[in-house]
Amino acid sequence: MKFVCVRCDEGMKLERVETPEEDGSLGVVFACAACGNRVAMLTNPWETQLVRALDVRIGGRSSPAEPMEFVRSMLASGREAGRDAAGPGRAASRTAPSSGCPFSAMANLAAQPSGTDGETGKQGNGETEPGEQEPGSVHRPMAWSPEAERRLERIPEFIRPMVRQGIERLAAERGYQHVTDLLMDEVRTTFGM
Amino acid sequence: MKRYRDLVHDAGSGVLSQLQDQTLRLQRRMATIRHKVAILSGKGGVGKSSLTSNLAAALAEDGARVGVLDADLTGPALAKMLGVRGASFRIGERGAEPPEGPLGIKVLSMDHLLPRDETPLRWKAPTQEGNFVWRASAEAAALREFLSDTLWGPLDFLLIDLPAGTEKVSILASLLPGMGAAIVVTIPTEVSLLTVRKSITLATELWGASTVGVVENMGAYRCTQCGHEERLFQGPDSAAMAREMGVSFLGRVPFDPRLAAAADRGVPYIQQDPETPCAAALRTVAAALRSFVERVGRGSPPVQKSEEYRGEGRSGK
Repeated sequence: MKFVCVRCDEGMKLERVETPEEDGSLGVVFACAACGNRVAMLTNPWETQLVRALDVRIGGRSSPAEPMEFVRSMLASGREAGRDAAGPGRAASRTAPSSGCPFSAMANLAAQPSGTDGETGKQGNGETEPGEQEPGSVHRPMAWSPEAERRLERIPEFIRPMVRQGIERLAAERGYQHVTDLLMDEVRTTFGM
Repeated sequence: MKRYRDLVHDAGSGVLSQLQDQTLRLQRRMATIRHKVAILSGKGGVGKSSLTSNLAAALAEDGARVGVLDADLTGPALAKMLGVRGASFRIGERGAEPPEGPLGIKVLSMDHLLPRDETPLRWKAPTQEGNFVWRASAEAAALREFLSDTLWGPLDFLLIDLPAGTEKVSILASLLPGMGAAIVVTIPTEVSLLTVRKSITLATELWGASTVGVVENMGAYRCTQCGHEERLFQGPDSAAMAREMGVSFLGRVPFDPRLAAAADRGVPYIQQDPETPCAAALRTVAAALRSFVERVGRGSPPVQKSEEYRGEGRSGK
C-alpha cells in the first residue's frame, strides 16, 4: 500500500507508526516531502493482525528477527512459558531459578503480565514495534504501552525510575521504539528476573 | 496522478526489504539440505505421517542424515510417532535445536511448542473473531520460520509432512520453489483418488510433473497369522492413475495394524517389526525415493558428505 499526495502528485513517505493499543488498531502517518501534508492510515484489528501475521514491522526492523521470534511471540498458548523451548540466556521464565536479588525479584514482578501471578497467567497481547534510534544516543525516554506501564507500576516506587531506565536502555539497544508487553516478557526471561 | 507502479520505493514501510530478508534467511538455511521432499495428499487418513516417519527411518538406516518437519500445524503427530514428544527444544542465538528421534532423525513439530495435549493452535490477536482473514498468513509465517530458523545442519533429506488438503502445498511451494520431490500418498479408493488427483495437478503445476511421485498406502492386507494377502479396498489402481496423469509411481505399502501400534509407542514400525512384508515395502519405497530424487536432479550439492550414506541396502543391521 502506498500513498500519493494528490496536490503534489508525489509519493508520500512513512513518518511514524503508532503501535497497536488495546483496541487493536494501528496508526501509520505518511507525509508529503514536497508540501508537508500528512495523512494517517488507521487500521482495524483484523488489518493490524494481518500485518502481524505477515511477520513484518511497518517502518522496518533495526535488527534481524530472532530465531522463531514470530511463533514464540504469536502463540496464544505456548510451551515456552511452562516447559522447554528455551535457549541460552532465554531460560523458561516460569522455571528460571531466582537470583535471590531483591531488585531482580521486584523487576521480575514488574515484568509479569498484569492480572497474573506469573505462574498461571497467560501472556498479554502486546507487541513491540522496533524503530530507529538516534545514532550515538545512549538513552532517551521512550513511549510505554499502557500494559507495560501497569506492569511497571507493580514495582515499589523508590526503585521504579531505575528499572524504567534499565528497560528503556535495553529497548534502545534492541532498536525498539516503544516499551510494550512483549519487551517486558523478554526482560523477564533474558535476565532471569 | 501517479499510479502504484510509478512509485518505485515502498514509502519507507520497509515491508519489501523484510520479505526479502526472510527469503534470504530461508535460502541460507536450506542450502545445507540436499533433498527437500514434500509428502502430501488431498485426502486425510491415508497415512501420510506414518509413511513420513517410516521413510525417514528407512533413509536413516541407510546412513542418510534425515530431518522431518511436521507441517501439520494444527494436528501435529510426528513428534509422537518418532518418540520425541516432550523432548528438549532449545532456541539459541543461531536457531532452534530440533530434538533427535530414533536413528538421529531431527524432528520439528508444532507439538514441541504447545503446552498440553488438549491445547489447540491459537494465535494471539485482539479478537479471534474473523481470524480467517489472517490465520493462513500466520501459519505461512510459522512454516517459514520452522524451515529457516531450525538448526537442521547438513542433511541428505528433509521430509516435510503436509496436512490434508492443498492450502499448505501452495504455501510450501512459495517458500521452497525448488522442491526435490513431492510424494502424493493415496489409498486405492475412488473417493481418495478423486481428491488426490487434484493434489497431483497442483503439485505438477507448482513443482513440475517430473518431481511428483505417487505412493499407494494400505492397498493390501496380509494376515499376520497365515500370511494370506487380500486387497483391502476394491478401488481403481493407483499406478494406472499415476501413469495417466504423467507422474511417477514409487510403490505400494500394505496395511499392517502393527504400524499404528508402533506409532503410538513412538517407534518407527520398520524398527519395531523390521522383517515384515510391510517393512520391506517401506524400504522399497524409500529406495525408490532415493533414486527418484537423484533422477529429478534438483538436489543441492552434498554438504559435509556423509560417508555412511551410500544409498544401497540397509546398514547398521
